[in-house]
Amino acid sequence: MENKVLVAVDQSENALRAVEYVAGMMKHHPGCRIALHHVIISPSPDVVPDEAERKATVQRMREEALHQLEKAAHILTGGGIAEKSIHLNLQVCGESKSIVELILHEQRQGGYETVVVGRRGVSKREEFIFGSVSSKLIREARGCTVWVVE
Amino acid sequence: MNESEIKERIDAFSPLRHQGSIRILQDTTEFMAIGAGDVIELQGRYYYVRGEESEGRFGLEGEPKFWVKRVIDLADGSPKIVKLVFYEKFLMQLGAQQIRCFRSPRKEERILHKVWGDHRFMQGVTVQDVKGNPVRVLERIHGKSVYQVVNELNMGHEEYFTRTFPALFSNVVLCIEAIRDLHRMGEIHGDIRNDHVLVERGTAAYRWIDFDYTYEWAEQPFGADLFGLGNILLFVVGKGFHTIDELGRRLPAGKSLGEVFDAEDFSLFFNNRLINLKKLFPYVPDGLNVVLMHFSRGTEVFYETAQEILDDLKECGY
Repeated sequence: MENKVLVAVDQSENALRAVEYVAGMMKHHPGCRIALHHVIISPSPDVVPDEAERKATVQRMREEALHQLEKAAHILTGGGIAEKSIHLNLQVCGESKSIVELILHEQRQGGYETVVVGRRGVSKREEFIFGSVSSKLIREARGCTVWVVE
Repeated sequence: MNESEIKERIDAFSPLRHQGSIRILQDTTEFMAIGAGDVIELQGRYYYVRGEESEGRFGLEGEPKFWVKRVIDLADGSPKIVKLVFYEKFLMQLGAQQIRCFRSPRKEERILHKVWGDHRFMQGVTVQDVKGNPVRVLERIHGKSVYQVVNELNMGHEEYFTRTFPALFSNVVLCIEAIRDLHRMGEIHGDIRNDHVLVERGTAAYRWIDFDYTYEWAEQPFGADLFGLGNILLFVVGKGFHTIDELGRRLPAGKSLGEVFDAEDFSLFFNNRLINLKKLFPYVPDGLNVVLMHFSRGTEVFYETAQEILDDLKECGY
C-alpha cells in the first residue's frame, strides 16, 4: 500500500528535524512516497520595486531552496528511505500567497495522506503579527493527517 | 501657464506674495531639493510648494517629512498634499515586537485608485512626473485625529463612557468596517494608529489617511492592521491608555498591584498597558471587554480578520 507523505520544507533547522522524523517513521514502509516541498514567494513589487532586483532575489532563493531540498533528501536516504521513493518539489509563486494554502493545494492535487511541517516555535506576539504556518495548517487541513514536528 | 501667469496665481491663492523668480520642477526624483516657493508641474497642472508635512506622535512635534509637500493647486487654489517617491525600508516597533516595514508609493497608488469615491479614506490621484515617478496628489483633510478628539475631552471616564462614547464608538466601528473592506480588496492599511483617523471638520466624517506602508509576509497579511485596530479600540474604550504607573496611583488603600491585576490583564505588545479595562471601569460591558482581551497577554485566540472583530462587537450590541 502506498503511503504518500508531503513534507513542507523551508530554510529552517526545524524543517530538517521534521525530515529526520519522517525518515524514522517511514523507513519500514517500502511503499512510501515522500515529497519534499519547498515554496518560494517572490518579493512583492511593493517591497522590491526594481524588477531586476526581484529576479536576482528569486534566483538566490531558488539556489538556497535547492540546496536545502538536497540536504533534506540526503537525510531521508541516510535514514533508510530509497531514493526512488523521494520526490523534490520547488514551487516558485509570483505573488504574495499563503504558504499554507499552497501546501494544502499540493496535498489535494497529489493525494497526500499526510502533511508534515516543522514547528518554528514563534512567540505569541509573532504569531499574532506574522501568523504561524503550523497552527494554520492544523486548522485548515481536511481529509489528511498533519504531523507537526518540534 | 507661463511664469508670469503662475506668479499671478500664486499671489491670488497664497497669503504671502512670492518674491523673485520661480523654479518650476517637472522631475521630482530629488525631493530633498524641492522646497517652499518651488512649483511642481505634473502633466500640465501646477502645485505651489508651501513647505513639508511633519508628523509627530501623541501630540508631540515631529520630524519634517521631506517627501511630503504641502502645496496649493494653482488650478483652483485648493490646499493639497503632494507625496513624492521615497522608497524606504526600516524597522518598525509594534509595541515590543519589531517588524521590517517598507514605504511603497506603488501600494498607495493602488489603494487610492481602489478607494476612489469612498470617503472613509483620504482621496487622491497618482500622476507620473517626467521621469515616471508616481507622485500622489492628495486632498488635505482638515480636522483633528481621533487621538486629539478623545484626549481633548475634559471629563471623567464614567461621564465620557455614558455620554460621548456611544456616538464616537459607532464611528470607530465604521472605521473598522472600512478596514475590513480594504482587506477584502486585497490590500492592507499598513499603519493603523489613532492619529491616522481624522475627524473631518464640517462633515464630522471619520477618515483614514496614510496607507503607504507595507510588509513582506503573507501568512497573516492583516496582523499589523489588527494590532493597530486593537490599539484604537483600547484607546477609545479607555479614553486613553492606562499604564501600570497610573494603576499604582489608583489602587484602593491597602491593596497592591498584584492583588488587583494579573499579567494576563495587560497588552500582548505593551507590557505596561492595561487591556482588562473592566477591572478599572466596572461598567464596561462584558462583551466589549472580551473583545479587548483578545489583545491581551492571556489570550489564546487571536482575531484573524477585521470581520471577526466586527462580529464580536455586533454580538455585544455595537
